[in-house]
Amino acid sequence: MRGFEARGDAAVAELDSEERAVIARVIADVGLLLDGESFGMEREQVEDTEEELFRYLRGFEAALSDPEDPAVLRILPNAAPTDREVADEFRRLTEPELRATKVDRLRVMWLALNEDGPEWEVPEDQAMATAAALTDVRLVLAARLGLDTDDDAEALHREIDGAEHALATGGASDPVLNPERVWLGMLYQALTWLQESLMSYVMRDDV
Amino acid sequence: MNGDSRPYSGGVSTQQQGSTDVVVESRRDDAWVTIVWNDPVNLMSYVTHVFQSYFGWTRDRAQARMREVHTQGKTVVSSGGREKMEIDVQAMHSFGLWATMQRSGQ
Repeated sequence: MRGFEARGDAAVAELDSEERAVIARVIADVGLLLDGESFGMEREQVEDTEEELFRYLRGFEAALSDPEDPAVLRILPNAAPTDREVADEFRRLTEPELRATKVDRLRVMWLALNEDGPEWEVPEDQAMATAAALTDVRLVLAARLGLDTDDDAEALHREIDGAEHALATGGASDPVLNPERVWLGMLYQALTWLQESLMSYVMRDDV
Repeated sequence: MNGDSRPYSGGVSTQQQGSTDVVVESRRDDAWVTIVWNDPVNLMSYVTHVFQSYFGWTRDRAQARMREVHTQGKTVVSSGGREKMEIDVQAMHSFGLWATMQRSGQ
C-alpha cells in the first residue's frame, strides 16, 4: 500500500488487489448500514421510480428517532442531546439528505476501488468528499471496536503493536487478543493512514 | 503497516493556545450556538481543513480551534439563529464531525 500523492490534478494511492477488495467490502457494508442497498447490485430500470419512492419513505420513517445501531448513531449523531424536540426536528429535517449524501460519496469511492489496476485515483475536486467518506467508514469501524475516547484509541494502537510484534517474532500472541478485533483494528489504522495522506494532499497549499 | 498518523489522540503535540473563544451574547438573533465535540476518530488535519473550508478561517485560527476541541473537549464554532445553526450542524455531520446545537448560555 502506498499513500496518496499528488499527480497532475489528482491524488493517487496504490493498493494491491487484496487491499482493494477488503476496503471496497467494508465501504459497501457501511453503505448497506446507511441505506439498505447493496452497491454493485443491478437494479431493474422499471422498478426505479417505485424503489426511489420507497427509499424516500423509509428515510422519513427512519428519521423519526435516533438510530438504534451505535455505529449509525456515530455518523448521524443526535444534534441536541439535552433537547428532545430540537433533536427530533433536526433529524426529521436533515437525515434523509445526510444519508443520501453519505451513501453517494461511499458509492463513488467503492466504484473507484472496483476499477482495474493497483492505482486509486481521486480527482482534486473529489478529494474532500473522499476524505469525508473515509471518515464515515472509520467512524463505523471505531464504533464496532468500542473506541469512545482518546484513551480507547491509544489502547487499540498498543494492542495492535503487540499483536504485530508477536507475529513478527513468532512468539505466542496474547490469548486475550481477539483475531477479528486485531484485523478490524489494522483495517482502521490503514484507513486512518490513507486519509492522513489524502489530507496532506488536500492541505498542501493551505495558509 | 504503520504511519505517524494519529487521530486527535496523541502523536501530535498540543501546544498552549491563547483562548480565541468569543463571548457569545444572548441577543435574539444570536441565541443559539453550534458546538463541535472531541472524538477519538477525526484527524487533526481533517478537522482543521473542515474548519478552514466551511467557516472560511485562516489555517492558524482553524488549528487553534481544533486544538481547543482536542484539549478542552469541545469548542463553539458558530452562533446565530436556530435555522442557521441547523445548517452548520448538518454541514459538520456531513463531514463526520460530532456537532450539537443549543441555546447559548445553557
